[in-house]
Amino acid sequence: MKLSFFIFLFIMLIIPSARADGDVVDKVYSPYVLPFERELEWRFMSRQNDDGNELTQRFAYGHALSEFITMETYIIAARDSHGDFGLKAYEVEARWMMTEQGQFWADWGMLFEVEKQHELNIWEVSTGVLMEKEFGKVSFTANMFIVYESGSDIQDEFEFETRMKLRYRWLPQLQPAIEFYSGEDFVGVGPAVMGIQRYQGQKQLKWEMAFITGLNGNNKDHSLRFALEYEF
Amino acid sequence: MHKYLQGSLLLGLLSLVTTQCYALPELVLEIRDHLFFPSQLNVPADKKLRLTIINHDNTPEEFDSFDLNREKVIFANSQTRIFIGPLNPGEYAFFGEFNPSTARGKIIVVNHTDDQNAN
Repeated sequence: MKLSFFIFLFIMLIIPSARADGDVVDKVYSPYVLPFERELEWRFMSRQNDDGNELTQRFAYGHALSEFITMETYIIAARDSHGDFGLKAYEVEARWMMTEQGQFWADWGMLFEVEKQHELNIWEVSTGVLMEKEFGKVSFTANMFIVYESGSDIQDEFEFETRMKLRYRWLPQLQPAIEFYSGEDFVGVGPAVMGIQRYQGQKQLKWEMAFITGLNGNNKDHSLRFALEYEF
Repeated sequence: MHKYLQGSLLLGLLSLVTTQCYALPELVLEIRDHLFFPSQLNVPADKKLRLTIINHDNTPEEFDSFDLNREKVIFANSQTRIFIGPLNPGEYAFFGEFNPSTARGKIIVVNHTDDQNAN
């Protein structure tokens, strides 16, 4: 059991030696889905490197379609390093919980995403495997994505992306973590913290924050990400 | 496209080789009038268990436990199952998210020897 975990971890680390033009630092997805769940989500990501500051914000609405599948639609706005802020892209995402939590050695799910750039003919189709494994009060979450970019404004290409998170479930409102991201020309790691505040019924507010430092080269490359998710 | 298929195949194989099914001991928890019966379950430490939850109410309920790291909706007049453990000795609280003031309970995890002494 331990051997398969380390084999999985090894594959996760070596596969994304080549990868993506987009934002690598984003959310690390859990494979779990609950029926009846609806959510509003806001994600903020600020990346500071030698080219300047890039800011990306995502606004989303999600709705569970069944006990195992949920869908989410996104509007993505961004400010580039020239200071121009505006609508960047639209995205539709489906998440599929493949196994019951705790049933097998690890919990598994899949993620499918289609993204279209607003003013450019660029399409991005992603397929990802989502995995979570419990070790007592520690949860290890890993995502591995294959991304296909195509369109007249981009050279068609495949990209690979890995995201990982090691989270200590200390208190519902406060769960420290470490996150790792790997993609094209980017490897980053840093501390994170997240939590959940429950209200009546299925109403709850989830929050996440992480500060990721790029490990690729000597150049400055820091990303701050923040997410708020209201489930109702 | 060839690389994409290769990658997809690898992801699929990863999912398959790392999943195994177990025959597990089963416990039953029932929901009636927004209460859990029994409200306390004693289970052995270091064992994986299947918890079957039967909801006799005409409304859905959500089994929720931060201690156990489990959330599961049980539809009205139906049943579901949750896999828990292996757990360390201790108390693990759970509640019904739709009726948190009434639907509450806990799982007491005991060492096998402690359990025998208690009996």
